[in-house]
Amino acid sequence: MAMEIGHSAYDFSLPGVDGKTYSLQDFADKPVLVLFFWCNHCPYVKAYEDRVIALAKEFGDRVAFVAINSNDPEQYPEDSFEKMKERAQEKGYPFPYLFDATQSVAHAYQATRTPEFFVFDEERELKYHGRFDDNWEHPDQVKQEFVRDAILALLNNEVPHYSQTPPIGCTIKWKV
Amino acid sequence: MRVELLYYPECPSHERALELLQEALEAEGVAAPIEVIRIETQAEAEAHRFIGSPTIRIEGIEVDPHPELPYRLTCRTFVHEDGRLSPLPSLPMLRQVIRQAKEVCNDGDGNRSFGL
Repeated sequence: MAMEIGHSAYDFSLPGVDGKTYSLQDFADKPVLVLFFWCNHCPYVKAYEDRVIALAKEFGDRVAFVAINSNDPEQYPEDSFEKMKERAQEKGYPFPYLFDATQSVAHAYQATRTPEFFVFDEERELKYHGRFDDNWEHPDQVKQEFVRDAILALLNNEVPHYSQTPPIGCTIKWKV
Repeated sequence: MRVELLYYPECPSHERALELLQEALEAEGVAAPIEVIRIETQAEAEAHRFIGSPTIRIEGIEVDPHPELPYRLTCRTFVHEDGRLSPLPSLPMLRQVIRQAKEVCNDGDGNRSFGL
């Protein structure tokens, strides 16, 4: 069961690859929050990586982007905190990349996949949940940019046209 | 010619992988059936030397082999010719392995044990 539209964002306190610890309060100055579950190893994340970076750079002054990795690094060493630091530096992530070591944040948000996007309005109520766009395979053939459309709607005080789409990607790797 | 597609159902790439594999076989003029193998447990992953979904082997030749990777239940990443990272192999990658497999299947007299 996914988090319901209209649900409030859960607060968290998670370490970022930049050495800081982040909570929701750190993004309070932005009218829109895009929180997304992310990781290093998943090919769907890799397929979307440049698109997400470009969107974060485009809207960075008005929208907070926050990536969270909840995967179990014991099973998937590429998703360790050290590897997260390397990936963020290599790609120049323009957003905080946080490590959810206990997986409690992923559980709270009822996230299941990477990548999986949650877009919140100024009141930090969920307005969009799901996939980034409608074509992970061919960026040049995208017809619906769900996250971008949600951002634009919220910045204009409108309701996003799409509120839910099924996320596509790898499953979050839970601890056993 | 033995054609195997191994997949982990939690990874959404296998349906598209099957389409791509069929397309590649057709392009290479190979009518061999595709053996689709579902991998659901770590034990099955190890038994089938499965490093991620999809894993495609043609006459035992794996598309984009990575012997250094552990056997596990996950999606795998393929690096395409243009450097793009993808959950699926490219058509040229598949066709190249099919051509390699054709050589393996060649019986030495110019006859081949596959065909339309």
